[in-house]
Amino acid sequence: MPVISRPSPGKLQLARPLGIWITGVTASMNSRNFSKLHYLVAVVFCLTLSFGQTQAAKVSLDPSNWGSEAGASCLDCHRKASPGIATQWHDSAHGAAGVNCLDCHRADPADDDAMEHEGEVIAIIVSPKDCGHCHSTEFKQQQGSVHTDTLARMEHLIPTLTGTRGNSPAVSTGCSQCHGSRVEVRGDGTLAPDTWPNSGIGRINPDGSKGSCSACHNRHGFSRAAAREPGGCTGCHSGADSPDREVYAASSHGRLFASNKDRMNLDSDQWVAGRDYAAAPTCVTCHMGAAPGLKGTHDVGLREAWALNTPVSEKQSLIVFKDGDKREWPASRNPPRRGADFPKADGTIGKIKAVASPKTRRKIMTRVCLECHGKGFTTAAMRSFDALVKQYNTQYGEPARAIMQALYEKNLLTPLPFDEKLETTYWELWHDHGTRARHGAAMQSPNDTWWEGIHRVNRTFHDHFLPQVRGVAGDEITEALIREHLGQDTETGQSSSTEPFLGYGEGKTGHE
Amino acid sequence: MSKSGFSRLITRHVLFALIAGSVAGIGFVLFLIEFDHLSSTEAFCTSCHSMELVAQPYRESTHYLPASGVRASCGDCHVSEGVFAASWDHFLGAKDLFAQVFGPDYDDPAINALHLPEAAFAARRWFRKKDSATCKRCHVQEAISGSRPATQTIHREETGNKSCIDCHYNLVHRFVPDEKTFKRERWNQMIEQEFGMEPGSAESLMTP
Repeated sequence: MPVISRPSPGKLQLARPLGIWITGVTASMNSRNFSKLHYLVAVVFCLTLSFGQTQAAKVSLDPSNWGSEAGASCLDCHRKASPGIATQWHDSAHGAAGVNCLDCHRADPADDDAMEHEGEVIAIIVSPKDCGHCHSTEFKQQQGSVHTDTLARMEHLIPTLTGTRGNSPAVSTGCSQCHGSRVEVRGDGTLAPDTWPNSGIGRINPDGSKGSCSACHNRHGFSRAAAREPGGCTGCHSGADSPDREVYAASSHGRLFASNKDRMNLDSDQWVAGRDYAAAPTCVTCHMGAAPGLKGTHDVGLREAWALNTPVSEKQSLIVFKDGDKREWPASRNPPRRGADFPKADGTIGKIKAVASPKTRRKIMTRVCLECHGKGFTTAAMRSFDALVKQYNTQYGEPARAIMQALYEKNLLTPLPFDEKLETTYWELWHDHGTRARHGAAMQSPNDTWWEGIHRVNRTFHDHFLPQVRGVAGDEITEALIREHLGQDTETGQSSSTEPFLGYGEGKTGHE
Repeated sequence: MSKSGFSRLITRHVLFALIAGSVAGIGFVLFLIEFDHLSSTEAFCTSCHSMELVAQPYRESTHYLPASGVRASCGDCHVSEGVFAASWDHFLGAKDLFAQVFGPDYDDPAINALHLPEAAFAARRWFRKKDSATCKRCHVQEAISGSRPATQTIHREETGNKSCIDCHYNLVHRFVPDEKTFKRERWNQMIEQEFGMEPGSAESLMTP
């Protein structure tokens, strides 16, 4: 049953470039569901209209734009000199379509990183801008996404840990390989070795574009399957900062994937959840994947309602600027209005095209869930996730942050970061353990939510954080801080019943 | 006894002059050979401090320390084979001596580095003009193997009309990009940073 509806612009503040809100709702939908769902579907559809086309948007350029004549002969040598990449390319979609080496690697002699090679002027780095020459939809989506902002986040949020006050081998071989490097082209046209090789997803390229398509689409095969399977993401999304490999693997979704990989249709041209595959969802499925009526996106953060990797989680709106740039905006602050001039993340001013509220973003993500789960199930799961995040916030994140702020204000901690044990403890509390708890809840890994998450948060808070606060601030100030921020007289809540696991008698089981 | 015209021409004086001339000529050629030989050595070239600066990267290159132990000296690459060609090259090279004495202070490492690209471009043009003749003194294309089988295959099948220098540059001296992509401003910035110079000061240094 085709439906025309109009959502409230006041709530959505979305751009309406087409002025039409036609949504395709399946005929099987009954009228009761429809009345509840039509708004949702309209929202989803409007967003996908605003934010792009299908996940695998077809290249609309005429084939005369590729297949450079000079580029055909590159392979004569490279089949011998580097048969690995030559074969990968040959077997790829690029190889099949006749997109050759020079089509991607050709450079303008004026480019900073241009170099002469066998009579041609080429560049080693093929930037998203280069890829975007043909893949313009993906380029536009990707350019404003959180993935392209990872280097800036790293440098601004944890400058001490990342050592941006001087390049270090740990940064160039560690942090930058995921977050991206700021590729430095030296005066002789060569790439500085501590900034290249690098395929970090937030790489800043010599041409000014951000990101690296090959972070997910490994060169030179550019396999769809490699980007769609969880391993394409979890190379970086693992460990304390983003424990998603562990969380996903332990979740039902991850276990389904592991046992059904051969039924995932990973190489399919189109990859619409529920239609082209149904065995399991991967990272891509929920965060950027297409579902019937929902278009995929290369803006990977678009559907995220919460900021999970912060000392205290906040829901966040996504501000979309007219030029495609985007900015996250805490939901607790007044959202700016569509059409307004507003500072971008880099400080320059842009005109706002749309603001997606956390509610809208959540709706888009849950839209994918519905391919397998009922609406009640989905809503309940999301409610549990939200509740855990709020619990973390109120019991640990907010008090710990407030206590830290108070200690800095009272000059009981030096402004120098990570020079005091308490600062490292606080970091471990919210970052290492707190992040794991929240990601665990987001993706349904009970073990990560509890044992690796909240349990550790709790232990760190009471056994390390508060005692260290006491060491820094003394009993009197600490008691006052605990009263103010935890609303209790002692640092640990007293359990009314005895704990059988603690000092339990010999010869008895835990059940007795 | 009548004398033929020829015999009449060869008087004693002429004979003496001929012998003296021949000896002098042989001596001159021998001198050229010796001179070319001497003036092609690293010791001779680096007697100018400016050349010592370009020799430093050379001493870390495989042309200085190859596994085979066959060391290529300055002249082996930069001076043509054959006494007359070699002498001509040295004659032309005398302009560098002129520039060394009357031109910018090439002995200053920064000035030297600032001028290096043009020197590299000129050297590459020279190699190209000579069809990399001096490379071929040692390297025989048919004999090139390498540690990977592909090296041999590529040298046999893919070299076509290419000359060694077309692919193999930046082997010995400091890296200088190809002329097509060289950017003077960026090069100057790099040298300024390297030598702790004021930004923008390189240009004035280049003209004495």
